[in-house]
Amino acid sequence: MFVDVGACDEFEEGVARVVMASGRQLGVVRWRGEVFAVRNICPHQLGPICGGHTMPLIAPGDDGVARVHDDTLVIICPWHSWEFEARTGKATWSDRFKLKTYPAKVEGGRVLVDVGDPKIRDDETGAPSGRMARKIAQRSAA
Amino acid sequence: MYSGPIIDVDVHHRWKSDVDMLAYLEPEWRELADRERNEVWLEAPIALFHHSTGWNKRSDTVPEAGGPPGSDYELLCEQWLDPYPVERAILTFDVGTNAGIPNPMFASALCRAANDWNIDTWLDGHNDPRLYGSILVPTQLPEDGAAEIYRHAGNPRMVQALVVSNGLGKPFGHPIYHPIYAAAAECDLPIAIHNGGDQWGLTTHMTAGGMPATRFEFHTLAPQSGLTHLASFITNGVFEKFPNLRLSMIEIGVSWLPWLLWQLDRYYPELKKESPLLKKLPSEYFREHITVTTQPLEMTDRREDLIEGLEAADGIEDILVFSSDYPHWDFDDPTFVARRLPASWAPKVFYENGLRMLRWPANAKTLELASAQAEE
Repeated sequence: MFVDVGACDEFEEGVARVVMASGRQLGVVRWRGEVFAVRNICPHQLGPICGGHTMPLIAPGDDGVARVHDDTLVIICPWHSWEFEARTGKATWSDRFKLKTYPAKVEGGRVLVDVGDPKIRDDETGAPSGRMARKIAQRSAA
Repeated sequence: MYSGPIIDVDVHHRWKSDVDMLAYLEPEWRELADRERNEVWLEAPIALFHHSTGWNKRSDTVPEAGGPPGSDYELLCEQWLDPYPVERAILTFDVGTNAGIPNPMFASALCRAANDWNIDTWLDGHNDPRLYGSILVPTQLPEDGAAEIYRHAGNPRMVQALVVSNGLGKPFGHPIYHPIYAAAAECDLPIAIHNGGDQWGLTTHMTAGGMPATRFEFHTLAPQSGLTHLASFITNGVFEKFPNLRLSMIEIGVSWLPWLLWQLDRYYPELKKESPLLKKLPSEYFREHITVTTQPLEMTDRREDLIEGLEAADGIEDILVFSSDYPHWDFDDPTFVARRLPASWAPKVFYENGLRMLRWPANAKTLELASAQAEE
């Protein structure tokens, strides 16, 4: 089920904004007429990936020359600079790693995202980004 | 998953601007380095191979209030000390390449100033019981290095002697550096060698075999110098000369460890005549005197591959000590490290080995918590 995560103009072009949707902490980014939603957890060391920056994909062609691919936005983790395509969640260097993505669209000037109904809900503050850190936070709160 | 107490032996911090540190420089040197009139380097340049995303820091560690990553205590608390169970963290400057400035007397003065700045601004200034300091050691004039260790050894919050820049271009076990180790041994402080610093500035051997062209090459091969220093410490008999000396090797990864121990032990019977001080196998000195930090932990496709490789060195769980390297770009999150290593190693790696290296008394309650984690 799609849920409303905010007005379209609240999402700055090319900047991943962290929002909560159905108990999931997501990064939502608007870019060249499209909108993408990804989970705010890097599959590498569970860093808050949407705290990093975005840029068009730079990748070599068959001739070995690096080129800017203006049709593909990548999200770069602030911790270790791992890069994932915002549209597909695919890591830019390997099929082994993938950022979780969710269907997203714009309707009536609102950004809508479908995250399903996750069993475990993320911490709303998003401050502790690792599983262990969340466990500690839960213990402290108890 | 381990969630017990953590000792982190590598947390980088630095001044917000050069002017802050210069206030601690002796007047004759402060004049030379006056920021309004010139741009004399205060640290050996490490910009030769900037990270491709801009610099060698996590991009989320830039303080909003200004200043470089590592300069904001509140941000350090927010991102690292508070959300994780960090019981003690040792500050290690922004690697601390000040000792690598070519002028040996200026380099010594910069180390003195950096240490005073650290005590005044961070240890006393923030008065956070989790924070401990390192004595940044001038290495070009080893007598200055020894004097700096003696100057701070009485401060219980200065817990290790940090050797970074390779001031004389010799592997760190060379006898020319022994006045530093004599002082550390007398003061019962461990020597900490932070990898990378000795490869910048004065020296010309960033990696073996020639100058690398990219950060990719350099960073992959950076542990090379660490292995050189380890072999040098052992073959020069440093631990026979200074039996209570401990050595902490910081930021050179871990997976090379079995290989180095095997090679040193293999050649010992044939070549020990070259190292007359040695009385036992190199691996025995290693296990008695040396710890190695986990970061940057190698990332194998299969977790089992890393563990099996490490287990090839008997008792490696007693050698490894956790370090985060916050706020640098190849920082290791403790969750990641805990997931990659055997659960039974965690209390030692995250806590007990650090206590032993630093001769810290164990907090009985905390130790109990750490041990309980291994049984979960």
